[in-house]
Amino acid sequence: MKKVVIGSGSAFWGDIFEPALEMAQSGEVQYMGFDHLAELTMAILNRMKAKNPEAGYVPDIIPWTKRLLPVTQKNGIKMITDAGGANPVQAALEVTKVIKELNLAPMKLGVVSGDDILPYINDIRAQGWKFKNLDTGEEDIDSIADRIAAANAYIGADHIIKELKNGADMIICGRVSDNALYVGPIMHEFGWDFSDQYIDRIAAAVTVGHIIECSACVSGGMSNMWKLSERPWDIGFPIAEFYENGDAVITKTSGSGGIVNSWTVKEHLLYEIIDPANYLMPDGIGDFTALQLHDEGRNRVKVTNMKGKKRPDTLKVCIGFKDGFIGEGLIYFPSPDALAKARWAEKWLRERFKKLGINFRELRIDYMGVNMLHGEAAEIEDRDYNEIGLRIAGRTNTYKEAEAVRREATHLWTMGPVGSSFGVPMNVRPVIALWPSLVPRDAVKIESQLMEVS
Amino acid sequence: MKKVKLTELAFARSGDKGDVSNIGLMAKTKNIYNFLLTALTPERIKEYFGGMVKGQVEIYPVPHLDSLEIILRQALGGGATCSLRFDQTGKSMGPVLLGMQMLVSEELLEEARAADENIKKQFGVC
Repeated sequence: MKKVVIGSGSAFWGDIFEPALEMAQSGEVQYMGFDHLAELTMAILNRMKAKNPEAGYVPDIIPWTKRLLPVTQKNGIKMITDAGGANPVQAALEVTKVIKELNLAPMKLGVVSGDDILPYINDIRAQGWKFKNLDTGEEDIDSIADRIAAANAYIGADHIIKELKNGADMIICGRVSDNALYVGPIMHEFGWDFSDQYIDRIAAAVTVGHIIECSACVSGGMSNMWKLSERPWDIGFPIAEFYENGDAVITKTSGSGGIVNSWTVKEHLLYEIIDPANYLMPDGIGDFTALQLHDEGRNRVKVTNMKGKKRPDTLKVCIGFKDGFIGEGLIYFPSPDALAKARWAEKWLRERFKKLGINFRELRIDYMGVNMLHGEAAEIEDRDYNEIGLRIAGRTNTYKEAEAVRREATHLWTMGPVGSSFGVPMNVRPVIALWPSLVPRDAVKIESQLMEVS
Repeated sequence: MKKVKLTELAFARSGDKGDVSNIGLMAKTKNIYNFLLTALTPERIKEYFGGMVKGQVEIYPVPHLDSLEIILRQALGGGATCSLRFDQTGKSMGPVLLGMQMLVSEELLEEARAADENIKKQFGVC
């Protein structure tokens, strides 16, 4: 049976590089997907582009393609990346420079853009679409309209498929859904379109995309199987063998470290989703409640009976808006009396904040090593701890107040109980809050082009 | 009957979707899954997390995977980019849930321990 072999090369901006290179060198895959974007990333990239019209892509694309393209060209592997970020065309121009600089063979670069709806969001609003907040239920975006920093639709695989059909050797996108980086090549290879006959098989591609799109997170990273992960420092990224009937095998680069088994696949199927029967993606809806997993030998898991529903008429849109500042501080107290010292310091800080009249939207003081992660789910034991850290975080409307929070935390360094220990001071950071919403699919002006580099 | 922590019976991993913390809870066997289906309720989970979870708790069963998808709404201080929590993305919520005390039969506990041994045998490094 015909199959497509596709691997994951990156899951976020800053992901580990060697496993991607090792996968390319193995020659075991036909396609590799590279995700570098998170919700906050688009706001950061937009800011970079506002300062410099030739920026706004993920800069890693330059060093990564320098090392990967010679290998992927030799092994006939096509890379699909969202490193274009807020400026996919410029990213493609940078890759063009790399190809020329390294004297590589001619290439066709597919460039997919148009996910950025900020330039025409008011036109969509003028037609009566209110961008209701999916989290809070707020009906209209009016309250934040003057503070929007980014508005990107999570677009699907349509234009990835189109440019692969046009002969692209590499595809550079902006904010496509991570999932589409995998669904695109699978649909292209099997010649599927979005008609009803392919619904379950596209849902299977959506499901498989979900399983591998977070790179190491299904091959031993963040896993309950951590004790059994082989040479975790040599971790291999995941590979899916996707069959034409909609079944798949999940594995990883031969000879690599890490672990892939039915537990790691299960962990990832259930990871960062809401309703397991309705995993909504722009290309289809995955239903994870019917599928079956079988361990098919070492580091090989077969996934069968994947099903789902037709793609939705709306696309998810993530709107980032400026919403105040966060000031933070850290300080550690040694025994004897570490807990009493931490409590004393908390009291000192709260009194200081009162005296300075800081207007907090929220203030949080955690005891590191005691309740910072467990919160109210853990009781504070009254015992002699070796050491306890105090973490102070405050959110304010103004930069000035957040800076005062940060400064007061550093004042404890010299005014706290004996032994108060500190490291490097932290920086105040602006908050980009997120407003998740939907946008009608046909309101998003997606475009693509083919750049020939000779 | 025996009092044990949930970690004896299941694995968990958690992440975020905006202000939602989601926990994939994977029972070590089918019988344990059936036990957890009735033993864990949204009310019990919400009470366990105290003030950490401000919104609703939902439990979605995934029978073929012997797993529960547990959704905790308004549980991450507004979501990763605005949260004052150190653990902005709620990665620790799953392991924290595994600290919950459960009252189980000796048989189920035996089954869970056998499952742990099997996993080690089947997937351990030789």
